[in-house]
Amino acid sequence: MKKTISLREVAHSRSGEKGNSSTVSVIAYEMEDYALLCEQVTVEAVRRLYGPITKGRIQRYEVPRIGALNFVLDEVLEGGRSRTLAFEESGKALSSLMLSLPVEVDAGYVGRAQKMREAT
Amino acid sequence: MSAAYRSSRTLQGHKSVRLGAATAWSRDRFEPASALVAQGDLDYLCFESMSEVTMSAAQVARMENTETPPYDPYLVARLEPILRDCKARGIRIISNQGWLDPVAAAERVVALAAALGIADLKVAAVQGGILTDRIAGLGLRFIETGEPVADSRERIVSAEAYLGAQGIVDALAAGADVVITTRVADACLYYGPLAHEFGWSLDDAKQAGRGMVIGHLMECGAQVAGGYFADPGYKLVPDLAHIGNPIVEVTADRIVMSKLPKTGGLLSPATCKEQLLYEVQDPSCYFGPDCVTDLTQVAFQQTAPDEVEVLVHDAGLPKTPTLKVLVGLTEGFMTEEMVIFAGAGALDRARMTQTLLETRFREVGLQAQEIRFDYLGLNGVHRESSPPVTVEPYEVILRVALKTLDRREAEKLRREIDPLAVNGVAATGKWATSSPGSRVRPVVGLNSCLVPREAVQVTVSLHHSR
Repeated sequence: MKKTISLREVAHSRSGEKGNSSTVSVIAYEMEDYALLCEQVTVEAVRRLYGPITKGRIQRYEVPRIGALNFVLDEVLEGGRSRTLAFEESGKALSSLMLSLPVEVDAGYVGRAQKMREAT
Repeated sequence: MSAAYRSSRTLQGHKSVRLGAATAWSRDRFEPASALVAQGDLDYLCFESMSEVTMSAAQVARMENTETPPYDPYLVARLEPILRDCKARGIRIISNQGWLDPVAAAERVVALAAALGIADLKVAAVQGGILTDRIAGLGLRFIETGEPVADSRERIVSAEAYLGAQGIVDALAAGADVVITTRVADACLYYGPLAHEFGWSLDDAKQAGRGMVIGHLMECGAQVAGGYFADPGYKLVPDLAHIGNPIVEVTADRIVMSKLPKTGGLLSPATCKEQLLYEVQDPSCYFGPDCVTDLTQVAFQQTAPDEVEVLVHDAGLPKTPTLKVLVGLTEGFMTEEMVIFAGAGALDRARMTQTLLETRFREVGLQAQEIRFDYLGLNGVHRESSPPVTVEPYEVILRVALKTLDRREAEKLRREIDPLAVNGVAATGKWATSSPGSRVRPVVGLNSCLVPREAVQVTVSLHHSR
């Protein structure tokens, strides 16, 4: 039995800018979920989310020692902070879009929010 | 090496050096610097004050108002509260607040020291790398477009290379208490003092890699210590209002990150991981002036509450023959306005307003390179990647932004927005109408290119307070 949850329950993310590119990390809360990230947080899946605003390449890099993936989205900031007309000019708010990605986990999987509730 | 400095400290019999991150950018918080000086037991306090756009923006500000200082306008406000204590305690200051003119900034710090009665303060200015007048003649191409830099000759307002750590190392070797630089790679603000203290050759890629990992983790200040991390219900950060900025303690074989006791924030492997990848493209190949760093060789271990050991496994690779240069180009003007709607039919009235404005723009023959309409509350942040609207929003703000080559064309936007007060749709709310001035601002676009190292000369000058 599987269930679909949002990536937010499995990983955290931070986005930053480099010129007209955005860099978006995806970091597993638990190291044992890194394989799940590698399998499901693919370039294709990320393009489904960011495709409408990404005019260039999307690249994925693996960082196994810290259980993380790093995505680089080219030509996503309408020219970059120096010249963009986008209201949010830095792309620093783009990480939350990544965390909306649906992922499939075992039915018994306990997500981050429930773990946090149980811990407090 | 002056014997006055306390960096002969030892940790379990090994020399150790402690560095604190005072700021992550020009307009960062002011409190952490004083707290770090008073309680951090530091050898070095480092100020990072730049983003990619800093130098070009400063250049434009100076064109518009010649009174604008060529260095960080917060230079004095940052150093005044701490300069005396730093000198007394032997804490050396490394700062990239020199921007366009580190010599002018160093002279200003000397004047500040005189005003504060601090005798014998040595301030070094590290300059070089400003290529504004030369960049078009070097036969280079822009990385982004592949076009020759020379084709944009008329539009270049700024060009500066990211310098490495050499100038900082030389300044410290000359006994500087305060080192003020122009643009250097942010991480070098930390790698520089470490190379000086441990006597690392800047050609030692292995140590450069360690230094750049440390600098990269520290350069964004609070961002590694629980800042920009909190997410209610998912990531908890205690006392966000009082985050303690990070301190790193480095020995020949250990790197330990911490923050002051009784401060807010959080230092954990998770906060360090987010910072490790922040603004990084290919983590295995993080280009810097002094080496290429393989950030995939880094791991983190919690060693105590709010204390993390950074484990670096051979991360340094030899440096490339070029330095990265940012080039600022004049690209006309931009402006934006907003109109405000709420209640029943808010979204329909906002959409009707967009149609009305589009008609008016045609009527007045607006010549714009780009026009952008955003519906704040629906798609103002993730733009076209926002989910479709399924629920009628209670309120929505229509924001319109445009870019023009001519300032007069940009001014046309407000001349169409202001009349909406009487010519627009029902219940159009207004924003900032009491400010009669122009909201048009010049656009300076940034491109980058790679320049041979030989084209850049770094010089260090020393300035003394009597």
